[in-house]
Amino acid sequence: MSSSNLVIKDLNKYFRVDQEEVQVLRDINLNIRAGEFISIVGHSGCGKSTLLKLIAGLLSYESGSIIINDRQVVAPDIDRGMVFQEHRLLPWMTIKDNISLGLKGLAPDKKDAIISDHLELVKLTGFENVYPRQLSGGMAQRAAIARALVNSPRCLLLDEPFGALDALTRIQMQKEILRIWEKEKTTMILVTHDIDEAIYLGDRVVVMSSRPGTIQEIIPVEMGRPRDRGSADFAYIKKKILRFFFQEEDNALQYAI
Amino acid sequence: MKGGIKINTRTINYLALPILVLIFWESVTKLKLVPVSMLPPIEMVIESFIEQLQSGQLLNDITISLQRVLIGYTISAVLGIGLGTLMGLSEKVNRFFMLSINSVRQIPIIAWVPLIILWAGIDEASKIVIIVMGATFPILLNTINGIKLTPKEYIEVGYLFRMSKWELLRKVYFPAAIPSIFVGLRLGLGTSWMVVVAAEIIAASSGIGFRINDARSLMEPEVVLVGMIVIAVVGVLMDQILTRVLKKITPWLN
Repeated sequence: MSSSNLVIKDLNKYFRVDQEEVQVLRDINLNIRAGEFISIVGHSGCGKSTLLKLIAGLLSYESGSIIINDRQVVAPDIDRGMVFQEHRLLPWMTIKDNISLGLKGLAPDKKDAIISDHLELVKLTGFENVYPRQLSGGMAQRAAIARALVNSPRCLLLDEPFGALDALTRIQMQKEILRIWEKEKTTMILVTHDIDEAIYLGDRVVVMSSRPGTIQEIIPVEMGRPRDRGSADFAYIKKKILRFFFQEEDNALQYAI
Repeated sequence: MKGGIKINTRTINYLALPILVLIFWESVTKLKLVPVSMLPPIEMVIESFIEQLQSGQLLNDITISLQRVLIGYTISAVLGIGLGTLMGLSEKVNRFFMLSINSVRQIPIIAWVPLIILWAGIDEASKIVIIVMGATFPILLNTINGIKLTPKEYIEVGYLFRMSKWELLRKVYFPAAIPSIFVGLRLGLGTSWMVVVAAEIIAASSGIGFRINDARSLMEPEVVLVGMIVIAVVGVLMDQILTRVLKKITPWLN
């Protein structure tokens, strides 16, 4: 595991709800290689977003460890970027100011160069001085991706980033994120409840079960890119993943498919 | 052509009620239904207005009152936004002040006037204290509210980008609270104007409020009415100016 970029070991996380400890994540073990694209799927409430926030350093954990390049995660840092379901661009800042949030202590001309590079990367050149409200959902989400990438993080955490977009824009954005990933070679961790999206993008798909959240299975997607959503391999993997969610209804599902 | 008609009906819509009031006023005085000492005819009020304008008295009165408002309102804004931000950010600070503020707030500002006059006399200081007492609360409460309602999603973004406390305040909390702070600032300005006139009526030797009270004792209802109309017009103008300024400094809101 020497090539591992991100190692999660025996991770447990509890939330306190009405004086009661509720376990959200149990015994999470996951090794992610540098440059790998990992998809995490699971029911809502299975703790997948919590896992992402733990990796981001936005939440603290009770036991276990999250280690990125031999360093324990204790707080947010510029080696990790995060994109949420809502774009979360600060409405009072222009796109340029939003993107430059992560850039500190740089000369203005260098800053401008990085910003225009990233605007180009997400195809938003010319929108520097526009406010987030003036962008469409897909454009705002692209700006959010640029903002998360501006520090060249080793790892990009994507928390259902396309969940709020319409179906066509979503497919477009999935292609975009693949293109960015191939160009930047960033490690990607994508949380989604869209199984097609998980298979289309991920090198491996992590299937999580709920209450408490545990990793049920890790399924490698051994298909070349770009992937054909209509192919037999794709359908086979999809069926395999669906089986984890609907074990008891397995037979019925077989007929349905 | 269509646009012209549209503007016309809108203007009529706006002006219909004021015009009706003026017609009513004019007929009541023309028909001598009320004595002139109670309600002077419109012409008398206009004459008095021109006379006061020419003698410089009106402008002088307004300037003095506006000066008081400017000083008092500025203090209120600084105090209200400053303390409001602290109270919005820290539950502890909030608990420390909240009970006292809520209690004091219940006392009508006019009830403070006698005590403030005892303490600060009847010159400038007392008027400014009264304005501050009146205008600070709306600004304060709206600031607290705005800061408290900052979406936690944006605060999380601040954490992600490792913002310092000061940066978080400047780049996240404060801009998020601005619409609410603006509501407070507008309410506060309205209150300042009302309160200064009230204070001048009770105890002052200058200003538009003093003029109204002075005219009452001299039995000059037309001067009283000029004063009242000017107060309304100045109030509307100040609100308009403030709204424009606030709009200008928040380009993302429109």
